[in-house]
Amino acid sequence: MSRLDSAIRRLTAQRACLDAAIALVAGRDGPVLELGLGNGRSYDHLREALPGSDIFVFDRRAEAHPDCMPDDDHLILGDFRDTLPAAAARFGATVMLAHCDIGSGRPDADASLAAFVAGALAGLLAPGAVVVADQELDAAALTALDLPEGVAPGRYFMYRAGSP
Amino acid sequence: MSRLQRMIDRLLTQRACLHFAAQEIADLAGPVFEIGLGKGRTYSYLRELLPDREIYAFDREVHAPADAQPDADHIVLGDFRDALADAGARFGGRVALIHADIGSEKPERDAQLAADLGPSLAALAASGGLILCDRELSLAAWPRLPLPSDAGDWDYFIYRAP
Repeated sequence: MSRLDSAIRRLTAQRACLDAAIALVAGRDGPVLELGLGNGRSYDHLREALPGSDIFVFDRRAEAHPDCMPDDDHLILGDFRDTLPAAAARFGATVMLAHCDIGSGRPDADASLAAFVAGALAGLLAPGAVVVADQELDAAALTALDLPEGVAPGRYFMYRAGSP
Repeated sequence: MSRLQRMIDRLLTQRACLHFAAQEIADLAGPVFEIGLGKGRTYSYLRELLPDREIYAFDREVHAPADAQPDADHIVLGDFRDALADAGARFGGRVALIHADIGSEKPERDAQLAADLGPSLAALAASGGLILCDRELSLAAWPRLPLPSDAGDWDYFIYRAP
């Protein structure tokens, strides 16, 4: 498959899952977490769809396009292994939606980070919160959700906080 | 419209336009030029669509992933203005398809670059060949073709060389 086709497939899956998650949390209160700002595309999508929400963005560095840059109060820079435990102390289990776009393309590093993030999110999510992720997250506190139509299993992942 | 949505529309439009162009030039001999290699996405797609063509990519530097890089004989590094003017001596009137993905988020810079490149691109294109560009080119008398129906909500420009 060409790199153009694979980019389209990845971005359309991301959009479909974000839109489905946004619909699932409609009307709920609580902050939104974006783990992995990157160039800011999905942050911009969340910001547009959830204009009244506090969206906190986590990344190692801020490299987004200037018009997709969160303000200083909503940008938390550093290693997820440090910043997520600190966020749990600050927010408690209040988060209504989290999007994890954390893959690097290195399977071992990605699996290890996904395992950490899955555990760390458990302390941040409000009951019924929705998680959208580019990696499989394995935690007792997360129940897998069906993916939107057109998104093949394993391409993106969605979870609900709480046991089935 | 979010940047995620715009990126999807842009990539869908590129795919639709390149697919259309590859069919249109099926019976026209000549190499393909990719102006602006970038991340190698459209180069990778052109290579898949046109496996038997010589495809030359132009850019200031190479930062595409290894599997989407041309070999050293098919990459031309440097300023587009110089590189395309130089290419005229070897390829003038012979290029079957030119895809110029040259836009940035600076409209004035883009308009100037498009104006500067137009004559070089026109001199390179084979008669009946296509030029696809993400910015409008002022190619006097060249018909602009409609975009394919499966393009996204994103502007693109397709011209056929007379």
